[in-house]
Amino acid sequence: MNLIALENVDIFYGDLQATFGVTLHVNAGETIAIIGANGAGKSTLLHAIIGLTLARHGRIVFDGEDIARVRCDLVARRGIALVPEGRRLFPSLSVEENLLMGAARARPGPWTLESVYELFPTIRELRHQPASDISGGQQQMVAIGRALLTNPRLLLCDELSLGLAPKVIADIYTRFAEIRERGVSIIVVEQDIARARASSSRLYCLLKGRITLEASSATVTLDDIRHAYFGDFLP
Amino acid sequence: MSFVEAILNGLMVGGLYGLFGLGLALAFGIMRIVNIAHGEFVVLAAYFGMILLTLTPLPLPIVVVCVAATAFVLGWLLQLALLNRFLGPNPVPSMIVTLGLSIVVRNLLVRIFGANIHSIDIGPLQNVGFRFLGLSIGAVPLIIFAVALLLFFGMHMLLQHTTLGRAFRAAADDFEILETLGFNRRRIYNVAMGVAVALAAIAGLLLAMRSSFGPFSGVERLLIAFEVVIIGGLGSLRGCFFGGLFLGVVQVVGLKLAPNSGPLFSHLAFFVVLLLRQANLAPLLAWARK
Repeated sequence: MNLIALENVDIFYGDLQATFGVTLHVNAGETIAIIGANGAGKSTLLHAIIGLTLARHGRIVFDGEDIARVRCDLVARRGIALVPEGRRLFPSLSVEENLLMGAARARPGPWTLESVYELFPTIRELRHQPASDISGGQQQMVAIGRALLTNPRLLLCDELSLGLAPKVIADIYTRFAEIRERGVSIIVVEQDIARARASSSRLYCLLKGRITLEASSATVTLDDIRHAYFGDFLP
Repeated sequence: MSFVEAILNGLMVGGLYGLFGLGLALAFGIMRIVNIAHGEFVVLAAYFGMILLTLTPLPLPIVVVCVAATAFVLGWLLQLALLNRFLGPNPVPSMIVTLGLSIVVRNLLVRIFGANIHSIDIGPLQNVGFRFLGLSIGAVPLIIFAVALLLFFGMHMLLQHTTLGRAFRAAADDFEILETLGFNRRRIYNVAMGVAVALAAIAGLLLAMRSSFGPFSGVERLLIAFEVVIIGGLGSLRGCFFGGLFLGVVQVVGLKLAPNSGPLFSHLAFFVVLLLRQANLAPLLAWARK
């Protein structure tokens, strides 16, 4: 059963077309990865799903309804949350206040302040610190916690590993199993291909706004990925 | 009136100046709107309070609450009906809209009330006071200062300890992310403008009990609000408060030295603050130490 399906989605920035007829889907409870080079349109796709940019053509069907032209805050309340690239915590709020912003307009569900602190014990001790004063990895945990507190059915993770130490990245990705256990489907956008494969069941490769590969993460070969990633379709 | 009394009176006026600045800073901090009509709302509140006090038997505290509530609704409607259409990275469109609004309000006031100067007469309360350490302190200035303090404290509690206040701060930081968390930012803006105008209105009404006002007083009030915000720094409650007190004290003490100076000294003080902020003070201090 599809939780979300994008059908021939075209996104424009002014006259500039960013994606061309993107079609992809996520099953309920599944984690998929979207990989691709800088500027391939990965973040743009996530922004279109949650409504920060609007798709000009095509449909984005979430739980049976087209949300392609629904306002961002209403999409969020239907159960989609974004962990944005660069984390984008509210710098003038404390760690806990950032989390509370996620909880303030939340749907009913399993995630509470307490369960987020259990998922990431480190941030409990930092809860009264200004969000701008903690390390990048800790900020990433707060950003994930903030998104989870809205009790989403679909979590969009944009470049979680950007600028973080490998150990910290591994630590964050190990929590995905726990997040999935609570019934959250996940779309992971990653530049780190190994990380993307390991954390997902299927992956899509995006090249200059077009899907060039859809494959099972477990069986896809590095050659296939290389061709899809760089666009040299000849072997 | 001794200098100490002048300073005390200055603190009272300064508390109100701080509130002018706070309203302006709130609107700019949260929705990047420079509300040029801010001063007109200050004056509008004074007129409205005057009407209520002359035409109805309502006691003064109730009138203040009525004016504040009306101002909140007015600010809320202004944002909802007009200013939300001009949101964006460029602050100029909303500046032009509020500039136009200020011209309309000013001329409506002239049309309805004439160009005369008014003041609000609060009756015998005006002369109530007490002596303390040889100083005579009026009850009204004291109450007004207390109200200003209370409003600043209330705003602090609102911003720090309520979801709405956190949403204000979060909207100022990053409104896109706020929307991805399910907040409708336009609704938050409506409330924020309501609060900003209400603060200006309360301060405007209280100031009208101490000094006169006319349909053209808004510009002067707006100038003060700008000066408070620039001295105190945007996004700082404490800065607005002390910026207001500074300007108020300078103005009243200046008036004592030169009774016809009007607001001259506070503007001069503001100018000096600007100069000092631009100046590279380190070499000057080093030179002074030699």
